[in-house]
Amino acid sequence: MDNEMTLSFIAKSENESLARMAVMSFIAQLDPTVDELSELKTIISEAVSNAIIHGYEEDGKSVVTVRATLIGHTIQVSIQDYGKGIGDVAQAMEPLFTTKAALERSGMGFTIMESFADELVVQSVEGEGTSVTFTKKISSAHASVM
Amino acid sequence: MNYELSMYPEQIAIIRLYGELGHHETEKIRAQISKTILQGHVTTLIWNLAGLQFMDSSGIGLILGRMRELSIVGGQIIILNPSSTMQKIFQFSGLAQYIMHADEQAAISHIRGIVHG
Repeated sequence: MDNEMTLSFIAKSENESLARMAVMSFIAQLDPTVDELSELKTIISEAVSNAIIHGYEEDGKSVVTVRATLIGHTIQVSIQDYGKGIGDVAQAMEPLFTTKAALERSGMGFTIMESFADELVVQSVEGEGTSVTFTKKISSAHASVM
Repeated sequence: MNYELSMYPEQIAIIRLYGELGHHETEKIRAQISKTILQGHVTTLIWNLAGLQFMDSSGIGLILGRMRELSIVGGQIIILNPSSTMQKIFQFSGLAQYIMHADEQAAISHIRGIVHG
């Protein structure tokens, strides 16, 4: 089953749950397990929160785009912002590294994303934006139903 | 997102979280939870996650932040009944040692056991 969706929204924290819900609804057609669903949801939440908080500093006007593609039993999701970008991606991905400790950001976002995704690629240019693209294979526990 | 905060004697507070806990929801509840800790005599915080359907690293930030506030009074935390995905997130973050799978009464007894030797 191949399918595709794109969702765009402005950088307001209220839209984080919208992004989570949209991708959860989109993936439902593959009949994922509860653990697959919640891991996927966590990756989306981390990447979208990063775009809103770090990319755009919650400016309430710049746009985050989430694009999801299903190819067979694999979902690929790309979360794109055109915000301030990350100067040192390797450092940003280190466990516990955060630039917003005062906001109680734990610095665990990328570690969680890497752990729950099968593949994760982060591309960023300072002043131009960041994209996080990941894939996750869905086992489809009940794939034989149809 | 919804939560309940119950106080028990001997400085124990139980926080029951419901629904989804991400960045947006964390920002809404942090101040109130923090105020309860700082104004009262809380030394143990029990996070009951049985009713929580979703949590990302914002939950880690929320719990670590309250641990810092409790550390002033030598306090401690217990994380009750996280889902398997949350459990992994706690493991990555070094918080797995605080997890218990039990009911609230068992957690309170556990704390009192520690307190009274």
